[in-house]
Amino acid sequence: MLEATLKQGQLLKRIIDSIKELINDANFDCNSSGISLQAMDTAHISLVHLLLRAEAFDPYRCDRTLSLGVNITNFNKILKCASNDDQVTLKANDEGDSISLAFESGKKERYSEFEVKLIEIEADQLGIPDTEYSVLVHMPSAELKRICSDMAILGDTVTITATKEGVKFSASGEIASGSITVRQDASADDEDDNTLIELNEPVSLTFALKYLNIFCKSASLSNRVALSLSKSSPLLVEFKFQENGHIRYYLAPKMENEGEENADDE
Amino acid sequence: MGIKGLSTLIADTCPDAMKEHPIKSYFSRNIAIDASMCMYQFLIGIRGAGIGDLTNEAGEITSHLQGLLSRTIKLLELGIKPVYVFDGKAPDLKSGELDKRKEKLKEAKEELEKAEENGDDEAKNMYFKRTVRVTRDQADEAKKMLKLMGIPVIEAPSEAEAQCAELVKTGKVFATGTEDMDALTFGTSILLRQLTNPEGKVREYNLEKILEGMDITMDQFIDICILCGCDYTDSIKGIGPKKALQYVKKYKDIEGVIKNMPAQHKVPDNFPLERVREIFKQPEVIKGDEVDLKWTEVDEKGLTEFLVTGKKFNETRIANAIDKLRASQKQASQGRLDSFFQVVGKSTSSTLEKNKKAAELAKKKGKKGASSAAAKNKAGSGTKRKREEGSSSSKKLKKE
Repeated sequence: MLEATLKQGQLLKRIIDSIKELINDANFDCNSSGISLQAMDTAHISLVHLLLRAEAFDPYRCDRTLSLGVNITNFNKILKCASNDDQVTLKANDEGDSISLAFESGKKERYSEFEVKLIEIEADQLGIPDTEYSVLVHMPSAELKRICSDMAILGDTVTITATKEGVKFSASGEIASGSITVRQDASADDEDDNTLIELNEPVSLTFALKYLNIFCKSASLSNRVALSLSKSSPLLVEFKFQENGHIRYYLAPKMENEGEENADDE
Repeated sequence: MGIKGLSTLIADTCPDAMKEHPIKSYFSRNIAIDASMCMYQFLIGIRGAGIGDLTNEAGEITSHLQGLLSRTIKLLELGIKPVYVFDGKAPDLKSGELDKRKEKLKEAKEELEKAEENGDDEAKNMYFKRTVRVTRDQADEAKKMLKLMGIPVIEAPSEAEAQCAELVKTGKVFATGTEDMDALTFGTSILLRQLTNPEGKVREYNLEKILEGMDITMDQFIDICILCGCDYTDSIKGIGPKKALQYVKKYKDIEGVIKNMPAQHKVPDNFPLERVREIFKQPEVIKGDEVDLKWTEVDEKGLTEFLVTGKKFNETRIANAIDKLRASQKQASQGRLDSFFQVVGKSTSSTLEKNKKAAELAKKKGKKGASSAAAKNKAGSGTKRKREEGSSSSKKLKKE
């Protein structure tokens, strides 16, 4: 049995809204420590890992591990019925085949209830290794969002190059080419505006902007974002919800000199 | 063609071995495609106006080129990297089957003539399909076009399905794409059917799961396929797929089956068991590590010359096709996430888990439950809505 109440319902609304373009359906894995979700997009190019710790909810109760199969598009439609300042309560029975959502407005003058049918999903679960990344960039999430949408004007892919000089995002296309470089800056009055770069080793990797721009929809979830990069590894983009959880996106890089080598390692 | 009744047997005994996936999920996979099967489909499938071949001004048939060109581009646009494998010389044992096919061809030709005389369009169409054969020239043209497109072409020394299986076994490609089920008998670990329809679902057969589900060894699987009826020998009359599985499990191999089977079943005169097994186990193939797969850039000049000048294809269409080929090559560099991270297990919905357990329980108890579970699994893809009765009425979406 799961029972979990989020005081700030908009957190859930925004989470679902930001992942709906990437995944159609996924299992919400619920246990005593919280709710998590791991899913890949259909083409298996990117992966979402969501974690909402039990502390994010008040109250939170889940006595038995439950895996709730949810169609994200439909779930999103129901969540649209909640106002931003509504309190959201999720409930599911161990034996049931639906999840119930209750929305209560701030002044308690309105209470809505929905039952959403669960679906049956069996999907591959990937083991994500604990990697020591070569480069770690902490920056304002709005800044990353802007960079990615600017780069998309130029082309389909962006090359992220991290050196001592800073982190350079560059793209080129038929009409123009360009780049934006961000540098270490810890001087802002508001800590959230700082850009912090930890560089162990310079790297340069290319990624599809289509995916990065979808990830950046999560900028509304957190003021800060962390990018982690290593040579020939997927990029990690992480948005933290204070101490209560996170949403992490992994994106497979574009291969260089692809073709022959590529064929052999499958 | 292939193994008689194998797909039904799989659906009945180990439905988990066949899963439907959207074609998109094969992004960036190398797939070995049985070219003869594929061209045959185009020759019967792509017709010009009315009943007749799709031809150019000179009256040459172009269905196979047209089909292959657009199909290959669609696959490339989906990020799939095709390798076309062409048939070589048929094994000697296939001559019996080939003679039968020749006879059928002759019959079909006669029937076709009759239908033409009578003006019976439906019969004409049906018998026409039976007269279609892929000629050597057509295969050569297809090879030439694919090479100009930058697609790897492999000429198998013998059966194409066997060569495809070798490529899968050695990890050169992810799967074999053919409708012919004997690709599994040759040891293809993953067989994809219905790869033809870019919007539809691909049927993925997993050999390991078949063996697991039927609870048999690979040698026994080959024996079952031979009993079902393959291209290389006549089969034992009265033993169909179901009995084949049942007998082979009980008596271990075909020798055991022959010794113990009821007297009404007769072993055909022509039953070179060892040699047929040999074909499946050690087919004549180019070894996987001797094969070098390369997807190269399209030869714009060569392709235009061949198709527009030579085959009188519309120039604008070919120019468009070349643009598409180029664009798809750009995205070919995108990697898959699961080539970096390992699959460690399955995430299964609690409801699905529960139903599976219930189905297993029912299977033990009696046939009724098992068949309903099988039907459920046949519905296919990983995600499916619950179909239990009674749940729909009370759990409908409601707003209060």
